[in-house]
Amino acid sequence: MTVRVVTGTIILAATMMIVAFIMVNEPNRMTDFESGYKGRSVEAGAALYDTNCKGCHGVQGEGIEGVGPALNARDLFDGRRLSEIGWAGTAYDYVFSSISGGRPRASSAFSTYPQRMPTWSSDFGGPLRPDQVRNLADFVMNWETTAMAQPAETPTPNPNAAGTDLETELPAGDAARGDKLFNGQEGTYGCFGCHSLAAGEVKVGPSLAGIAGTAASRVEGYAAEKYIRESIVSPSAHLVEGFQDLMPKTFAQSMTKQDLADLIAYLMTK
Amino acid sequence: MAIFKLHLPIVDDIKQKGLKPALLAKVDEGVTRLTAGLGINDIRSVLRGDPAPRPNPRVKPHADGFWFHMRPTYYHNLVTPLYPQFRLGWLSVYFMVFETITGVFLMLFYTPSPLVAFENMLNILSNVPLGLFMRDLHRFGAELMVLAVALHMLRTYLTGNYKKPRQFTWFTGVLLLLMTLGLSFSGYLLPWDQLSLWAVTIGASMVEAIPTPYPLNLLGDQWFGDQYFIGTFVNNLVRGGPQFNDNGLLRWYLLHVLGLPLIAFVFIGVHYYKVVLHGHSLPPEAEKVGEDTAKRVPMDQRTYFMPDIITRELFYVVLVTFLCIFAVTLGGYHAPLEPHAEALITPLHTTAPWYFLWLQGMLKVGDKVFWGLIAPGIIFNTLFVLPYIEVGPSRRYADRRIGLSVGMVVCVTLSMLTFMGTPWYAVSSSADQEIIAEIVPQTHPGPLRATPWDELTVGTYEAKNWEQAPTPGLKGLLEEYEHAVATAQAKDKEGQFKNLENLLIIEEWQDGLKKITVRVTWQDATGERTASQDVFLHRDSNYGG
Repeated sequence: MTVRVVTGTIILAATMMIVAFIMVNEPNRMTDFESGYKGRSVEAGAALYDTNCKGCHGVQGEGIEGVGPALNARDLFDGRRLSEIGWAGTAYDYVFSSISGGRPRASSAFSTYPQRMPTWSSDFGGPLRPDQVRNLADFVMNWETTAMAQPAETPTPNPNAAGTDLETELPAGDAARGDKLFNGQEGTYGCFGCHSLAAGEVKVGPSLAGIAGTAASRVEGYAAEKYIRESIVSPSAHLVEGFQDLMPKTFAQSMTKQDLADLIAYLMTK
Repeated sequence: MAIFKLHLPIVDDIKQKGLKPALLAKVDEGVTRLTAGLGINDIRSVLRGDPAPRPNPRVKPHADGFWFHMRPTYYHNLVTPLYPQFRLGWLSVYFMVFETITGVFLMLFYTPSPLVAFENMLNILSNVPLGLFMRDLHRFGAELMVLAVALHMLRTYLTGNYKKPRQFTWFTGVLLLLMTLGLSFSGYLLPWDQLSLWAVTIGASMVEAIPTPYPLNLLGDQWFGDQYFIGTFVNNLVRGGPQFNDNGLLRWYLLHVLGLPLIAFVFIGVHYYKVVLHGHSLPPEAEKVGEDTAKRVPMDQRTYFMPDIITRELFYVVLVTFLCIFAVTLGGYHAPLEPHAEALITPLHTTAPWYFLWLQGMLKVGDKVFWGLIAPGIIFNTLFVLPYIEVGPSRRYADRRIGLSVGMVVCVTLSMLTFMGTPWYAVSSSADQEIIAEIVPQTHPGPLRATPWDELTVGTYEAKNWEQAPTPGLKGLLEEYEHAVATAQAKDKEGQFKNLENLLIIEEWQDGLKKITVRVTWQDATGERTASQDVFLHRDSNYGG
């Protein structure tokens, strides 16, 4: 009986000591758990990225020109991309909400990426749970260290790029040079690869025989030159019936104003 | 004339006796009221183990107090040693209280919704002081409670205590066993991780097999949609829909925290009332066949509740609590938490909780309706009515050879069925999947994730060349890989699986992140085939090991 009471008291003291020890250690344990869990979140995000995102943003987030912008690039983390689109929150919030809600419209600040980003979070009708979107955002944000180690220089935007604005003034066009551009003797646009100039012949895109005439009648209020111009810099704007939206969307950036003017001049002779 | 007169007797006492004696007397009075009859000195003498004074004040709480009136004033000397009761009933009640306390703590940080339940778990583990500790204790206590209750029933069966007049005590006991299993099982679903979802899916899919009974089935499809009308209905009831959803989770949660505990506490009351009413029965060999002398305890064979039993029970409380706390801290027991529930990803080897493995084993034997529903139904119904159909008068072991043999056969069968319920028995999955699951399992970290991150040197390695691996961690990992290949090949008796190459490819993927590909190439009847699994590992993820 005395043994029971004495042993019981000792065990009680031992129990209290263990609990006190745990109590003291709790802040450290919780911090460890948090960083461990963050690590697992990055892992889960990497797996999700592998199945869902690499098709447009590249296997390692390097981006695919004309499809999806780079995610491992410095401008995402140093605030440049955020300020360009007027984002007031943090980079994490930007990444998280871009994945969650997608982009209903292609960003005007990135006319090289005309495709829209799909919605991913189930909150907005996408396929992923919000915690999975958080995993993805954690994974993307994990590029920060390597991205910030990149040089800070900004690639200067080409001032001579054609752009998608149809109202800017174009220099006078030279149809002879436009011929060379069209047929691949100059420049790298390769129009002839998809567009035949023989009437009725379909390579990939519609034949451009008689384009000067048809272009004028395609859209109400559009002159032929304007229609051709828009079809080059924003190929998705008007699709000829029976054709898919396959034309590259990069010409607004890659083509100079002079090249555009020459091409239009050339096509107006057809 | 005073319209209001305030009289404080303590002031008079202090004036009369002085401050200290008066206050002590007051405290003593309070304690006496609280214990319904025992003053401070009486309690001290109980704890010291002094012989009871006459008249015995220790009897008074049993007559006047609520808590002590539930406990007998004295026990027979023969039932107080470890044999014949092994404290299993006491332990069951202890764990019920233990689970309530730890459970209420966890309830504070839990919302029963699939949207946040898993996040709540992470919050409990990362943000709640003692959260991990309480969760581990709750889970550990739950496992021990199932064990204690099951052993309690086994012991009652072996010593024949279910016999007349204690039939109804046994009946409520079986009910409490079901409540315990139900409580433990319903708790499984709440964290909303893969383990929860799939363990409970096994259980819920069993009720789906309930066929529509005659004559409802004659009404045909136009009435009930399909032949499993009742099964579908019950299935929708327990899952909240065709898939587990927020309704299902809420139902299981309420069952876990409200429904089942309520029924359990009521029947613990009934059960214990019957125990005290009939007296703790003596060991079978201590009384004549057909006699029940538990209530007639001779004066010289009494062990009084106070001081003996109460100090013993206090000692047990301290001891068992200590052991539980020891187990979840220095003992290293931790309640598992798998990734977020994902209805589209089925882990390779899904098992029910260990106490339902026998049921899963039976399901592997044959028909779902018979082995999953009818057979368990027969088993539990037999348990319920056992004392009413097994009416042999003798509780002595020698007179119950058939009964005890049947008990042993049942125990052995249950053990065998439990083994059959595990993935080691009759689960056919392809050898390549077995190998990959051995290295990177879906249900627990496994050897790859446990390998120290720094020792995963970037490169391509083949399992059979494990000895040339650059780091000890990698060497051990590749050796296990090679071992898994050998095991899978040994299993494949028809020689379908001709293993060609087993690679482990480690790439640097991101800052602090590596990509590891486990790739198995083999040859079968259809030609050369490859299976591979990518795993990403972060420096901080800390899977232990």
